[in-house]
Amino acid sequence: MSAFGHDLEFMLEAIWKVVVACLVLGAGLPAVFALGIRSLAWAHGGEAEAGDAAPNPWARVVAYVCFAVVLYGLIVGIMYVVATGHGNNISLEHVWPQIVSA
Amino acid sequence: MSAETLVLALVVITALGFDFTNGFHDTGNAMATSIATGALKPRVAVAVSAVLNLVGAFLSISVALTVTNAVVKTFDSNASAASDALTVPGDHLLMIVLAGLIGGIVWNLLTWLLGLPSSSSHALFGGLIGAAIASLGWGGVNWVGDGTKLDGVVGKVLLPAVLSPVVAALVAGIGTWVIYKIVVGVAARFTTEGFRWGQIGTASLVSLAHGTNDAQKTMGVITLALIGSGHWSHTDAIPFWVKLVCALAIALGTYVGGWRIIRTLGKGLVEIESPQGMAAEASSAAVILASSHFGFALSTTHVATGSILGTGLGKPGAQVRWGVAGRMVVGWVLTLPLAAVVGAAMWGIGNLLGNTGGAVVEFVILLALGGAMFVRAQRRPVGAHNVNDEWSAGAAPERSQPELATVGAVR
Repeated sequence: MSAFGHDLEFMLEAIWKVVVACLVLGAGLPAVFALGIRSLAWAHGGEAEAGDAAPNPWARVVAYVCFAVVLYGLIVGIMYVVATGHGNNISLEHVWPQIVSA
Repeated sequence: MSAETLVLALVVITALGFDFTNGFHDTGNAMATSIATGALKPRVAVAVSAVLNLVGAFLSISVALTVTNAVVKTFDSNASAASDALTVPGDHLLMIVLAGLIGGIVWNLLTWLLGLPSSSSHALFGGLIGAAIASLGWGGVNWVGDGTKLDGVVGKVLLPAVLSPVVAALVAGIGTWVIYKIVVGVAARFTTEGFRWGQIGTASLVSLAHGTNDAQKTMGVITLALIGSGHWSHTDAIPFWVKLVCALAIALGTYVGGWRIIRTLGKGLVEIESPQGMAAEASSAAVILASSHFGFALSTTHVATGSILGTGLGKPGAQVRWGVAGRMVVGWVLTLPLAAVVGAAMWGIGNLLGNTGGAVVEFVILLALGGAMFVRAQRRPVGAHNVNDEWSAGAAPERSQPELATVGAVR
């Protein structure tokens, strides 16, 4: 196969992984964030939402869980930039991101 | 000052000039959406982005000496000593790099004048390719790599340029659609304030990633020039002063802000609300970081533009100005060949007049062209004061004869 063909092949091999990762991080996390905002309005009740529902204090907990998930994503992102800038990588094996050598 | 030192000094100054245009060309990639929705005041947005670019630039420790190798064959990264690694004579290399940098700067300034976001890396690569073809022939360009990994003009420049905006648009479109579904019926004071913070967070991440990626390119180019002129002998380290001046140049450029481009991205392409702004920047950050994780080289500009377009497609009823998008795509297609033409012409001048005289004349031409475009831009200035004006008011510069005449002069 020509080198040009190899380039195409490499691209097609990796593109699906990139698309899936991007959908989870780039669309999934914003959706969780939106869920957090919806929950805040739900917790507040009344005019905060269409439907004028009663305030629901538990929804505030849901909101904070959502924001915590998004914050985690942001921290992983920052750690990744820091790690790759130093030629390293990050590991999520212990949930909290850790810098490991590539 | 000896003739060799003079040429080296001109290369370093020109490289920093390129780094500066890279910064101001790309401010909009991270901050256009936050500025357009009012999440951040224009001056605050560019300041935040500048600081994060500065921090990002200092974070990039890994050596990017091979950045030019993606497109031209100038450096053998398997060599043990820096002096052996060059595949062309040092003075020859300096002239190629200078011509390539000038090609990149001229294209960056022209697209800024026209308010078109275009990739700074493509402009630099285009300039280098042109200079390499003119000096070394077609064989001097790394077109497709060696078949062992994604490399060369095709693998590192063309394929990502076609695919990355599409992926970014898809992710941002889906993200936008889902967000609006989730928050339907929620009072505006909750959504506006909430997504404002979401926007600031995501835009900051894009700025940081930009500083890490893009400043590194100029650091690599300057270090390569130092090796070529015999002033540096390590292939695994970059002089601290190079890192410092590159970080400062890109941060200063970001702070000055390419307002014409910010305006096109934030107001011209789509009318953006804060949930869309967050969706766009989240998509950009995800695509940039995921791609770098999987070893893709891509342009922040293509990603950011794709994301903003996608967020217009994802919101029911939103209007995308396809005319503006079309102009951008034309600009992207022309970036590589036109920067290459300038790069080749500059190399020709150097070849004609000799290294020292050529370098001086090339530098003077760069200053003249840059000055002319700056003066032309002042006729219809775009800045923090009018960046968010209604698009129909037409503060965006239109293509007109004097600008085309400038391009003609370059050719």
